[in-house]
Amino acid sequence: MIGPNGIGKSNLLEAVELLGSLRSHRCSNDRDLIQWDTPQALIRAEVGDGDRLELELRRQGGRQARRNGKLLDRQLDLIGPLRCIGFSALDLDLVRGEPALRRQWLDRVVLQLEPVYADLMARLNRLLRQRSQLWRQRQISSAERHALLDAFDVQMALVSTRIHRRRQRALHRLEPIAQSWQTHLSGGTEALELHYKPGSRLDGEDAEEPWRLAIEEQLREQREEEERLGSCRVGPHRDEIALLLGGSPARRFGSAGQQRSLVLGLKLAELELVTQLCGEPPMLLLDDVLAELDPTRQQLLLEAVGESHQCLVSATHLEGFGGGWQQQAQILGARELRPDLQIG
Amino acid sequence: MNSVAADDLRNSYISRIGGRPLSGFTKPLARLIDQFERLPGIGPRTAQRLALHLLNQPEEQIHQFADALLAARTQVGQCQTCFHLSADPECEICRNPERRNGVICVVADSRDLLALERTREFQGRYHVLGGLISPMDGVGPELLHVTELVQRITNEEISEVILALTPSVEGDTTSLYLGRLLKPFCSVSRIAYGLPMGSELEYADEVTLSRALEGRRPV
Ligand SMILES: [Zn+2]
Repeated sequence: MIGPNGIGKSNLLEAVELLGSLRSHRCSNDRDLIQWDTPQALIRAEVGDGDRLELELRRQGGRQARRNGKLLDRQLDLIGPLRCIGFSALDLDLVRGEPALRRQWLDRVVLQLEPVYADLMARLNRLLRQRSQLWRQRQISSAERHALLDAFDVQMALVSTRIHRRRQRALHRLEPIAQSWQTHLSGGTEALELHYKPGSRLDGEDAEEPWRLAIEEQLREQREEEERLGSCRVGPHRDEIALLLGGSPARRFGSAGQQRSLVLGLKLAELELVTQLCGEPPMLLLDDVLAELDPTRQQLLLEAVGESHQCLVSATHLEGFGGGWQQQAQILGARELRPDLQIG
Repeated sequence: MNSVAADDLRNSYISRIGGRPLSGFTKPLARLIDQFERLPGIGPRTAQRLALHLLNQPEEQIHQFADALLAARTQVGQCQTCFHLSADPECEICRNPERRNGVICVVADSRDLLALERTREFQGRYHVLGGLISPMDGVGPELLHVTELVQRITNEEISEVILALTPSVEGDTTSLYLGRLLKPFCSVSRIAYGLPMGSELEYADEVTLSRALEGRRPV
């Protein structure tokens, strides 16, 4: 999709991303995805062998998902037929940006592997919000507050344990793949390590029950500090994923070029793992990101994915795309980018 | 025009009338549609269909409909014992001596009570909390009928309390809170959910609910 900014290229990619993963990398509120003067938005697509997917967003909240015309009880059941992985300019901060970016990267992988993960994350976020609101209530007695905190602790310990375990498992599987891409992209000079640094102390053997009990205890212990600082000090919302190159944190010691290669390697690892586990290559959404890479890395990316994956690519100019790629691609300009667009 | 394009056209038309209400409708009709749209679960399309349907009914029928609305609003209050909706000071369930069996089932609101009643599995009485604990919405235990529940347990010789609350964060928080509060007085259990995480009690089918009632577990 070639054309100047503002003609709806990112819009279209975002719509595909939403339909495939129920999320947008750009914004977390459905209201910001709906045209300002309308009450709802509708995304509809026909994928694969004629599976018809539909997602309706509403300004007043709530979504409706349909598959082949049938209303789904849970929107999660929409995930599957259209797996996709996005790569946008925002991802370029994956290595040097805030820990939240790396958690989101890992979460996207876990979500593709286990859709139920969305429930766990939603529950954790809700618990954290309820918890911080509870501290702000002034009319409540201290005994009452602690009784309610106990009730939150029990739930948070369980949800946190399940999230930690899933993140750790996914990172273990990503590490060797990211390492082999790192070797390929950098010429094999520095060894890459991905370290999971959980926001809770995971004491005891690696099993649900001991971890749950350990986290519940830590939540109780940190309450005084929580009251003072206003935020909960234990849980997956404080996880960090450390990226080490030759033993040093890439975030601080890597050169700009090393960091770019690493970002590319991490995205390709994400793509490869999801392909392996789902048995089918997901669609790759490249939103205005090629222009941000130098010609060598552009070429490496296109070579790595071009053969096996269907890609939706947006760019302002055609320059920089190798000749072979241009011949295989369907190229759409501003005139073709309309609501009834056919791709593929 | 193929059917998808026709659908899109219709949707975009309906989106427009939903956004800036109702050009092309005469005023009294627009008012009626607007009233329907305020109801939960009713979008612009349904509101329009209901309003047009009512216009075609005999006037007598419309009077009965309006009377029923007003009567329900003015006459229905809460049972003074269990806080279920009731036109009398005490509801039918609380007045029924056969249901005084020492077991109370705690629900968030009257809709959940009605869902459980439909299963015909539960022979005891209910207690309607009037909501769930949610600091985000400013709802603490003091705004729910918790004190009254504790009083009932001592006054009515209650041996068992069953908590039947939606398994959301707020429902689980309320269950855990009540579990600790009531344990010194009686046995407390909560219904086991054959329900997927995050689903609502109100929408569960009767079979699922009956099974969940049988499989209740101590808190
Ligand atoms: Zn009653």
